[in-house]
Amino acid sequence: MGGTSAATMARPEVLRIVDEIFADDPVVLTLGGMIREMLAVAGRKPNHLYVLDAMGLPAAIGLGVALGIADDARHESLLVIEGDGSTLMGFSTLSTIGFLRPKKLIMLILDNGVYLATGGQPTAAATTDFAGVARACGWAAAWDVESNPATLRDALLVARDQDGPLLLRMRISTATIPTGFFLEDPVLLAAEFARWLRDGA
Amino acid sequence: MTTAPTVDERSAAVIAAVETINPRWVLHLPSSTLKTIVGHFLARDGIDGFRCVPIPREEEGVGILSGLALAGVPAVMIIQDNGIGNMLTALNTFPQPYHLPLLVIVARRGGLGEYNSLIHGISERSQALLDAAGVRWFQLDATTPTERWTDTIVRANTFARTTHRPIFVLVNLMDG
Repeated sequence: MGGTSAATMARPEVLRIVDEIFADDPVVLTLGGMIREMLAVAGRKPNHLYVLDAMGLPAAIGLGVALGIADDARHESLLVIEGDGSTLMGFSTLSTIGFLRPKKLIMLILDNGVYLATGGQPTAAATTDFAGVARACGWAAAWDVESNPATLRDALLVARDQDGPLLLRMRISTATIPTGFFLEDPVLLAAEFARWLRDGA
Repeated sequence: MTTAPTVDERSAAVIAAVETINPRWVLHLPSSTLKTIVGHFLARDGIDGFRCVPIPREEEGVGILSGLALAGVPAVMIIQDNGIGNMLTALNTFPQPYHLPLLVIVARRGGLGEYNSLIHGISERSQALLDAAGVRWFQLDATTPTERWTDTIVRANTFARTTHRPIFVLVNLMDG
């Protein structure tokens, strides 16, 4: 079963810690709500790839980037931050990641158990052991993270120093913060991230 | 009277094109029609940094190709046309609006020479699906001399980069 700890942390608090620890690493962010909250807590950053609407695809995109930077010594790790619903939509990618085993890939699933942006309908995450699936697919390691700031910080620091692929899954609450729409042209988002990967790291 | 090019001759033209493009990654989905092409690149998997790997779904391939494009790594995806419908949302929510150059080589099915009684139902709509999605495509079939296939695919790859978008090359390896 997928549950271990209570979902005490809210997503903005998690994202603040993620940005602190992966301040200079490529980070792939999933969908509108998470992106707007990351913008609110960290501002716009060239090392953040904002995947605005491709639900189910961020893990595959992150896999492609991780494969592409495998031999680039400037990039030691890449973090994909996914939700439980989007992970389930692109579930086959967990198998492909286990097959290809990109060493730099870390995936953090923030599991609030619902499709929050569309009204809070439940996902199937409550009965899905994401870490167990990743291990069964051949990932280097995967584990559930207790939903508190100190444990999250420790887990992310440990993950940064290990060979991947690594999957961390943490329960979060459904609490949100007020944010505005993010209406940037996606062409600019891709160009800024690609330029940062190539020149700016 | 001239004889139609064989599947092997058409496959060889596609293989020559991909060899010229020299991708670091070839992603593929299962297709009996593509057996010769995929087999050629699978035989090279792991040699000199080249990888030819299976992927389970077309939209996942769109994501991986997009990530590789962002990292500046050349890659090609080789699929069969009955999977085009799977990838339309992925195409139009990521590489199309983000202007990422992808090259996808697609084996046509369901036309002249087809032996499967079912596959035409989706395959015949491939071009219409791509048109509806606003995806630019070129087709190579009996109307194009096989001698021109290799160069056309190589130019399609260049076209993807110069126009900053996914480009599909539909190849009829069968008798059509």
